[in-house]
Amino acid sequence: MKLQKNSTYNLIFVLIFLLISISAVSQTEISGIVTQKNGTPIPGANVYLEGTYDGTTTDDKGRFSFTTSEINEQTLIISFVSFEPFKMTKNVGELKNLKIRLREDVSSLDTVVISAGTFEAGDNSKVSVLKPLDVVTTASALGDFVGALQTLPGTTTVSEDGRLFVRGGDANETQIFIDDIRVFTPYTPSTNNIPTRGRYSPFLFDGITFSTGGYSAEYGQALSSVLLLNTIDFPDQEKTEIAIMSVGGGLGNTQIWGNNSLSVNASYINLAPYNELFPGRNDWQKPFETFAGESVYRHEFEDGLLKIYGAYDATEFQLTQEDINEPIGVNFKLNNQNFYTNASYSGRLKNKWKLETGASFTLSKTDINVIEDKINDTEKSAHLKFKLRKNFSNRFKMSYGVEQFLTDFKEDFNNETFDATYGFNNNISAAFTEADIIFSKKFAIKLGLRGEYSQLFDAFTFSPRASLAYKVSKNSQLSLAYGDFYQQPFNEYLKFQQDLEAQKAQHYILNYQYTANNRIFRAELYRKEYGNLVTYNSDFPSFDTDFKTNGNGFAQGIDFFWRDNESLKNMDYWVSYSYLDTEREYKNYPIAATPNFANTHNLSVVGKYWIEDWKSQIGFSYQYGSGRTYTNPNENGFLQNKTKDYNSISLNWAYLLSQQQILYFSVNNVLGFTNVNGYQYANTPNVNGDFARRTLRPATDQFFFVGFFWTISDDGEDNQLDNL
Amino acid sequence: MKKLLLATVLLISGIGLSQTKYETGMQKAFDLWQAEKPWEAANLFERITQAEPEKWLPPYYVAQINVINGFGEKDKAKLTAQQEKAQDFINQAKTNSKENAEILVLEAQWYTVWIAFDGQQYGMKYSGKVQQLYQEALQLAPNNPRVILSKAEWDIGSATYFNQSVEPYCKDIQRAIDLFATFKPEDKFYPTYGEGRAKEIFESNCK
Repeated sequence: MKLQKNSTYNLIFVLIFLLISISAVSQTEISGIVTQKNGTPIPGANVYLEGTYDGTTTDDKGRFSFTTSEINEQTLIISFVSFEPFKMTKNVGELKNLKIRLREDVSSLDTVVISAGTFEAGDNSKVSVLKPLDVVTTASALGDFVGALQTLPGTTTVSEDGRLFVRGGDANETQIFIDDIRVFTPYTPSTNNIPTRGRYSPFLFDGITFSTGGYSAEYGQALSSVLLLNTIDFPDQEKTEIAIMSVGGGLGNTQIWGNNSLSVNASYINLAPYNELFPGRNDWQKPFETFAGESVYRHEFEDGLLKIYGAYDATEFQLTQEDINEPIGVNFKLNNQNFYTNASYSGRLKNKWKLETGASFTLSKTDINVIEDKINDTEKSAHLKFKLRKNFSNRFKMSYGVEQFLTDFKEDFNNETFDATYGFNNNISAAFTEADIIFSKKFAIKLGLRGEYSQLFDAFTFSPRASLAYKVSKNSQLSLAYGDFYQQPFNEYLKFQQDLEAQKAQHYILNYQYTANNRIFRAELYRKEYGNLVTYNSDFPSFDTDFKTNGNGFAQGIDFFWRDNESLKNMDYWVSYSYLDTEREYKNYPIAATPNFANTHNLSVVGKYWIEDWKSQIGFSYQYGSGRTYTNPNENGFLQNKTKDYNSISLNWAYLLSQQQILYFSVNNVLGFTNVNGYQYANTPNVNGDFARRTLRPATDQFFFVGFFWTISDDGEDNQLDNL
Repeated sequence: MKKLLLATVLLISGIGLSQTKYETGMQKAFDLWQAEKPWEAANLFERITQAEPEKWLPPYYVAQINVINGFGEKDKAKLTAQQEKAQDFINQAKTNSKENAEILVLEAQWYTVWIAFDGQQYGMKYSGKVQQLYQEALQLAPNNPRVILSKAEWDIGSATYFNQSVEPYCKDIQRAIDLFATFKPEDKFYPTYGEGRAKEIFESNCK
């Protein structure tokens, strides 16, 4: 009994004690003022002690004051959007009348970005000039991502080729990467005067970066340009896509389960029916036929993402083309099989390290028959890459990487009198490092160094790269870039001779960019110097040709770009203009001259107009290229004449039948301009002593396309408009 | 015995104390929000988030305030900053409460902010994602009136755009209104919005 009473008494005592102790906890006042660097007060900032409920919001004058019952050392945190969070650990008694200046957060949107040379297509990018959709809704592009990039400044109009020619560079000087891993054979093979297309479907990519110079030390083996394609990280939903087109059909399916997803795409193109309806200038024995299959598997880990991409395509055609030296024409037959696989992993490690690694493998077999000659070649190439990146802070980032390129190329040549097998192994080891330093929202630099060792030449090359950007006003900035770039001589020479040297280019770029309110203006001045270009003295490269690498050249010019999505309602348009001045002494050129793939003036105008009432998007595109050089043997000189200018207007119309069904029409060169790609001259003069010539016209003047696209998904909402 | 008792009392009073702190904090935040001081409310919800790292409601409300204020924001830099903040707090709420239909609805609204900001740029890109989030939310909570309402509101928007009948979705709105009448929040401070909105939509689209 006594015990019980005692304990009741104790309990009351404890409760009283507790109550007293709570109310008696000493209250400390914490106060101060929060401003920007220049003293402007920051209202609305969140101020609190870490891990507690004690805190407040700053008032209109940036002032704050609150009380806390915490004692001893505590961490005061101040945070506000677009400023770096501030932390201070002190005894609560000392946290009085504080004057705190927040540093601006340099990762926010209005920070300067290094933009020299680079065009990005993506909606989160700060320097994006194209949206992912544009790749496939540009009228002249016909669903080819390369076609859409040809409307950007810095590219030249070489309509019969289809590849990217950048700032006076040959098409081979542009390298393409998927998820930062190199693609060795990006284009479907073609023949004279028939434009090629990119092998890979734009459906699978959601980010495209196109650099026309001065790019990062991470990318090597490209003299002029790099094109970086990123596959979609994770698809939104499961769906089946069906495409029925005037030139073939396609089928796609996406499955998602847990942290995995798989997208499979197959397409079949056959130009036979089209050629029946609209015969072109070529005589086709076997019209162009291609089958392509692609798949992407993705797996999300807790801290990383694995993507495995695989693509196979087979192309076949045979035709006879007119030739001034062959009265019966030249018969050309091609059969190509290409397999490409690419696996990449990116993941976060401890202490803000990031790992990016991957590998690709290509197997490409091409069988070509030209008149009596049979040429079979096999290319096996691989790329292995390992890269680490560390964010020391928002203002300082470093990356380090090593990579290995392996190429095994073999070719068999045979005809009635001659038989040969030849080839080469081209292995390159490389290491690179790069630092990104952001001094303030206004000023940033990027410094990089790349070293490469070529096993074939037993030679090292070092390429320093540097760029900087300075913000001159709220919406505009200036960038400068410099870099050295090396690239092995192309396969067409290496297969005949291996004791050569890496070709070299140096880029100097000055860029001005203005962005505001869905409008963007860019101007870029550049100079590019070439050295160690391949030279030879025969009519065309062959076994007995003596190759050297003592060619050189230059390219300089200015590019302008303007895009406006604001001024006219429902209208989005862009205009690109490039001026190019270039000469080179390479191949078998007797003197320095402007090569035939370079034109002085290039203009593109692309417009898209959305008509709400018709549920339709009408697209328009105009391409202009000034004349290109050719050699006229009837006059003195080399590459001394120019063709007439190139003009083409294309239109397209996408009509939404319902959420899931789209009808699509397009016409290229709707006005039927007569374009001339060049001239072929006879090898020998006629009786009058003149060399006769044949005009090289495009295979067809116009191209028509009709397609029906149907998406089947669970929710019945998605469609393929973004695939057009 | 005495020690045990003391320990129990201390424990209970300790729990009671922190409960109270959470509840007072949340209540104060709602009062600020009610008093049209959403950013101060957001700041307080953010402070509660870091003091109570296991709870999903405080980060949910930080995100919700940012998302709601994202509708109608014209400045892209500002909107991006708000959306990034909202995204961080949605992620935190998701970590603390898995398979939560309320958070999925908020995430769908997060994407809708982008679509409302620039339909041409984000419409096609995000509408599939929004739809998929509503589907997922509906599977998790087939009788939650907010899920039904938000999904139906989205569907009415799309149907109106394509000149299709909104009738099937009116049934959903009606069902949401009926469910709101009997809906009991699982917990204090659990989301309760939507009844008024449902009636409004029904008035303007279904009569």
